[in-house]
Amino acid sequence: MRKIISIIVLVIIAAGFVFTFSQIPFGKDKINVAGYYIERGIKQTGAVNIVTSVVLNYRGFDTLGEVTVLFIAALGLGAVLFIERKLKEGIKDKEDKKRKASLILRTGSRILFPLILLFGAYIFIHGHLTPGGGFQGGAIIASGFLLMYLAFPRKSINKRTSNIIESVSGLVFVGIGLLGLVFSGYFLTNFLPKGVPNTLFSSGIIPIIYIAIGLKVGFELTGIIDDLLGRSR
Amino acid sequence: MVNPSLLIGIPLAFSFVVPLFGLISKKIEKYIPIVALLINTAISFILIPQVLKKSIVVSIGGWSPPFCINLVVGPLGIFLATLISGVSLLISIYAVAYIKKEPTEKYHMLFLLLVTGAIGIVLTGDIFNLFVFFEILCVSSYALVAYNKDKEGAEAAMKYLIQGSIGSGFILIGIALLYGIFGTLNMADIANKITLANPTFLFISMAFLLTGFGVEAAVFPLNAWLPDAHSSAPSSISAILSGIAIKTGVYGIARMIYTIFNAEGILTFVAFLGLITLLIGEMSAFKQNDIKRLLAYSSIGQIGLVIFALGIATSLGVFAGLFQIVSHALAKALLFLAAGYMIYKVGSKSITSLNGLGKKMPLTSFAFTIGAFSLIGLPPFAGFISKFLIVYAAIQVKKPIFLAFIAIALIATVIEASYFFKIVQNLFFKESKNLKNITETSGYIVIPIIILTISIIVIGIHPQLITGLLKEAASELLGRGGYIAWVLGGS
Amino acid sequence: MSVIYNSMYYIASGGLILIGLYIVLVKTNLIKIVIGLNFIDTGINILLICIGYIRGKTAPIFSDPRIKSTSVVDPVPQALVLTAIVIGVAVLALALSIVIKVYEHNKTLNVTKIKGLKW
Repeated sequence: MRKIISIIVLVIIAAGFVFTFSQIPFGKDKINVAGYYIERGIKQTGAVNIVTSVVLNYRGFDTLGEVTVLFIAALGLGAVLFIERKLKEGIKDKEDKKRKASLILRTGSRILFPLILLFGAYIFIHGHLTPGGGFQGGAIIASGFLLMYLAFPRKSINKRTSNIIESVSGLVFVGIGLLGLVFSGYFLTNFLPKGVPNTLFSSGIIPIIYIAIGLKVGFELTGIIDDLLGRSR
Repeated sequence: MVNPSLLIGIPLAFSFVVPLFGLISKKIEKYIPIVALLINTAISFILIPQVLKKSIVVSIGGWSPPFCINLVVGPLGIFLATLISGVSLLISIYAVAYIKKEPTEKYHMLFLLLVTGAIGIVLTGDIFNLFVFFEILCVSSYALVAYNKDKEGAEAAMKYLIQGSIGSGFILIGIALLYGIFGTLNMADIANKITLANPTFLFISMAFLLTGFGVEAAVFPLNAWLPDAHSSAPSSISAILSGIAIKTGVYGIARMIYTIFNAEGILTFVAFLGLITLLIGEMSAFKQNDIKRLLAYSSIGQIGLVIFALGIATSLGVFAGLFQIVSHALAKALLFLAAGYMIYKVGSKSITSLNGLGKKMPLTSFAFTIGAFSLIGLPPFAGFISKFLIVYAAIQVKKPIFLAFIAIALIATVIEASYFFKIVQNLFFKESKNLKNITETSGYIVIPIIILTISIIVIGIHPQLITGLLKEAASELLGRGGYIAWVLGGS
Repeated sequence: MSVIYNSMYYIASGGLILIGLYIVLVKTNLIKIVIGLNFIDTGINILLICIGYIRGKTAPIFSDPRIKSTSVVDPVPQALVLTAIVIGVAVLALALSIVIKVYEHNKTLNVTKIKGLKW
């Protein structure tokens, strides 16, 4: 019974899709508002990566909301999976029975971990010059930490430092927005000098915000992995 | 002049700051939401006279619309923002003493972010920004429903999450279709160009958007998650979900139909859906034995009434719908806070366990009674004015089908009165043996209850306090030309 | 053939959304339902990117002086998809943590057997 109703609903939605998608021609030039961003992107923001200038400058409010959603997910995970102090003692005995990881994993991860962190940092520092940015770099950093978690089952990051870095990075983002309010009357304006395009020190506040986002996302995702594994003290 | 972007920026900044304050002392974390929401309420009250003179359009980043994200602070926006800030302030005072389960600092951060999401939804003028703030509201409410970590909380949160995610997915499909045809994301810009597109295309994309917002607004048949979620959450969260989060879904529906799509033809169907929701909500509430589930079903019913009122496309109908939003938010928050305190003291959620509490907890029971009477629609409370105006507006529409609608609405009110009277009778006129050491001692819990009760009575006796603002808000919703002119035509 | 050439990306994204909806509506294992939610998100992201594509044009990064401003694709859907992917990941993480809690209390992942809250 449930299957029949579901199939009917899906057929109706599929019909809706067929009609609407045929109205939007694929591959035709239908740029409207985005033409403004492409024409004036480099002059107004200094970033050669137009997607970055759209994400952080013209639609910076959406990025603030997105950072907040990830923050909410990390908080929610911490709140839902929180174990009371008295129950933690019982779990500790199970941990000592875990096996050590294999030799290849342990050695390889010690070599790869700094390289992964370096690569992630490269991606979010150069967000305004190459494809990438804060979220991508943060995800790479978190995957480096995941590798360390797999290789060393008894170690974990310092939760307190991680929380402080997250809070400070979030405050840096909101703080720069409020500074824009102070300097020119609009939230999140680009008030630092734009510099020469296609160089590292250009485009005003964009690299600073991307560094803050990269660190915040990296440590947040690591905190999520840590909560799911149930390890922090 | 105060910048309205502070209304969103301040709760956001304070919620990021809570762990840093926690390093100094664990005890002051509970008071930070109160500080943030106090500043918010003050700013929104200061902005009201300005907005009544001329709506404020604030662009984020300094670019000019439609090439930027802008906040449109019109009468509707500032009215809802003030309501949200005020009610959340009272609930956050209640939560200082009510929330005892660890980890409390995460509760307060999630609560502030929920309020940020709600205020962002009502103030923004860009459709993708609306989706982002809607997600902020939804994700923090998923986490808060599961906060107690018990069996019912986890199950209710899972159901809410699955249905809410499908709803959000539909909203995003609608936004993608609108961008594909119009090439812009600004609500005023889309509203300006709406006649250039194929009507069937517009109908399908509007259907996706309305289904998505309808999940959060708990319209029939998308409301299966609400009774579980609102009854299994901690009581302060039930209060804010029933009082505020549902209203943002209704706001989304109203914005889509009135301002963007200008779909007057669908309004009768929307009113009909609202009426079915009202009937189902009240009939299901009548059968309940668990008081929080009863209040949750009652929320479904009352929001059905709001949607019915918004579906009467006259200015009196929309005005009555907005008034009902105010009276329901105040009354339902009061009922959930009072019921939560009573459940906490007695230890059980069933209605029969509340027998005789009128003598041991007189203040709370009296407040509960006032809230219930306002919800039913008895004078001299706020609910009487809103229900009377809705019926009067429906009579003024000279179509016979609306008379049938009114008859159904009155039947639903009679059902509602019957179960609330049964509870009040239990509270004051029945005896119970196991109530020994129950007293009302906590100031933090009692003060918000008293303030909500007083505001219900004051608005009931002097509705002139808010009618000016509500009239302007109703004309903003009906006059979309004005909205487009504020944003595009020389802001 | 040209119909398929013009619309295969739309078919892919629409198909993913419909498969994801089918999984959420019909399957009874909680983990499968969460994976279905992920399918829906992926399908919508592909749809958004398809809408922004223009044939014959390149990525909107002016790293090379030869790239003119008329020969790049639409950058706005790419920014929207960045946001949508992150929101999808956040909801997925929260969903998995709630599934862990449900399993702890009920010892089963079958949706039809978890009936703590009745009508």
